[in-house]
Amino acid sequence: MAVDMNVFRGFAEQIGSLPQMAQPTDCPDGERVSRAKAVFAAKLDSAKATHLESCIHCGLCAEACQFYLQTKDPELTPIHKLDLLKRYYRREKAPLRFFHRFFEADISEADLEATQFLVYESCTECGRCGLVCPMGIDIASMVNVTRQGLAEAGLIPAGLRAVEQEQGGRGTVFGVGPEQLRAAIDDLRGRGYDVPIDKPKADILVLTSTIDILLFKDALEATVKVMNHLGVDWTLHSCAFEGANFGLLSGYEQVQKSASERITTQAIALGAKLVIVPECGHAYPALRWEGANEHGGALPFEVMAISEFLGNEIAAGRLQVEPIGRDKHVTYHDPCKVGRHGGVFREPRVVLDALGVDLDEMPCNQATNFCCGGGAGLFVMERAEPMRNAAFDLKREQVESTRADTVVTACGSCRVNLLAGAMRTEWDRGVESLVELVGNNLKQR
Amino acid sequence: MSFAEFVDGPFWYFSAAVFVIGVAWRMFGMLTIGSKTDYSLPRGSGTTGAIATNVRRFFPRAAFWSRIKLQVVAGYLFHIGLFALLFFAAPHIDFYREKVLGFGWTAMPEWAFILTSEIAFLGLLLLILHRLMNPVTRRISRRGDYLGSILIFLVMLTGCLALARSYEALRVLHFFLAELLLIYFPFSTLIHTFTFPFSRGFSGAHYGRRGVSV
Repeated sequence: MAVDMNVFRGFAEQIGSLPQMAQPTDCPDGERVSRAKAVFAAKLDSAKATHLESCIHCGLCAEACQFYLQTKDPELTPIHKLDLLKRYYRREKAPLRFFHRFFEADISEADLEATQFLVYESCTECGRCGLVCPMGIDIASMVNVTRQGLAEAGLIPAGLRAVEQEQGGRGTVFGVGPEQLRAAIDDLRGRGYDVPIDKPKADILVLTSTIDILLFKDALEATVKVMNHLGVDWTLHSCAFEGANFGLLSGYEQVQKSASERITTQAIALGAKLVIVPECGHAYPALRWEGANEHGGALPFEVMAISEFLGNEIAAGRLQVEPIGRDKHVTYHDPCKVGRHGGVFREPRVVLDALGVDLDEMPCNQATNFCCGGGAGLFVMERAEPMRNAAFDLKREQVESTRADTVVTACGSCRVNLLAGAMRTEWDRGVESLVELVGNNLKQR
Repeated sequence: MSFAEFVDGPFWYFSAAVFVIGVAWRMFGMLTIGSKTDYSLPRGSGTTGAIATNVRRFFPRAAFWSRIKLQVVAGYLFHIGLFALLFFAAPHIDFYREKVLGFGWTAMPEWAFILTSEIAFLGLLLLILHRLMNPVTRRISRRGDYLGSILIFLVMLTGCLALARSYEALRVLHFFLAELLLIYFPFSTLIHTFTFPFSRGFSGAHYGRRGVSV
């Protein structure tokens, strides 16, 4: 099933109206700085301290950043985005804080507000800058800490705040809750699919996401096809189906924890051995890498991205696909949070190899892949539109240097941003999901 | 007490003490802040990642090379030249033998010293020019970055002028500037000399656990 572009336009319009839906924050003006500082104090560990101590201001990180490369604006230099955190560290936590206080002004509310654009609307926490740094500074993780400080200070940008508030309050995302999930399942059942939901026990808990329920229904359908094809004991669950975690994206840890724990608790109750995260980039680190830490101990189940699961199943010979043929020319866009932050590079390529397509990699691929521009919630931030467009233009150049007529990816927000860019620039390349390719080409039994 | 006696005596001990205590204080402070346990199931080895990243960061990735080659080449010229001078220049080895270690090692010949100095100067000048002319480095540099570069430049310059050991005043000036650099060192970004293996190691370990080579 192709993406209905009218639905896509409607989805884009809905995103545009998010800022009006955001509720005011409960943070009084006088408390913003102290709240942000409390978060910084809790989050700065030895690794981050060492990174903040080690910067030599060489500026190489700018040369890896898509937003700097496209705008040539020195304000967007990745390490500059950490100035607020660095100032806090130097004055309050550094070993030489007694010395630094003579030279370093304290952070103010105006500083917090000035940092908002730098860490939200002009950074996708893609982590590419961390690869070029001669000191190995992990800038992206500290941008996230800065976001957490600003979130606690009530300074999440309105569009992102609206979604975070909705997920933290009603537990839904873009209005999608259990009823909408059931409607999507009814639709699939109406077309002959067996879709298990709310089983009391299951080996595998499959998550989906709002984007897949509203927009990329093909990805949800393909996931169902694959799971049934494998004949495994799986289920969706109406209390724990949403993979997206707008707490992580916004930096608001309470919402991140509640969204993550909802899944963890349900997976444990099911006795699940595996939780499969849908094609949603940040959903993967939210559960795979942060889920156990939010839970406070090791998880009694494995977590896999759907692209990782597909690759593993194909490699193990349990999942067979019909080759599409080498006249389909594709390139693969690694979602940053699954690839560079998650280590899933090999598995999607195993899938594409099994599908027999002509994979032509972009000049910057796998660890050095450029972000789609919509990651870390930028796709719901109004002010980020010029940045998203700039990033898309760079990605377009990368794709056009290959012979691919289709970009395959395994992340809903990457698809949204790539499709939005394609629509804006009347680009003739297709954007497809990995699981959709597999679902459409399962070997007949 | 003459200025030379002051520089060779009390000021040397003072600057050496500030350097040692300052570096130790800063390193100990940042490394003992602590860290939380990561409960996620690892995909790879953090230790291997830490070691691998420490090695890998000496060799920039091909994807970045065309955009960063000037700074990388200049950085290597400066650092290799500087370390060769620091540890293999005959006057320095004499100094280590007489004042610090009690033993020495073979020095490089004078022609190698001159060549090494030129390499180090070329690298340093390129880095300073880049810092001054590139919009990014101009934006993010602090006064301390320039001060550190100027101090190193002056130490190297007076060191070269004092090579022939013909003028005592030049040797004293060189030593005095080197002592100022030692005092400045723990308060500056020059601390990266000691922090870089840890900084690389932390990232390497973090991503190594995730099965990512960074």
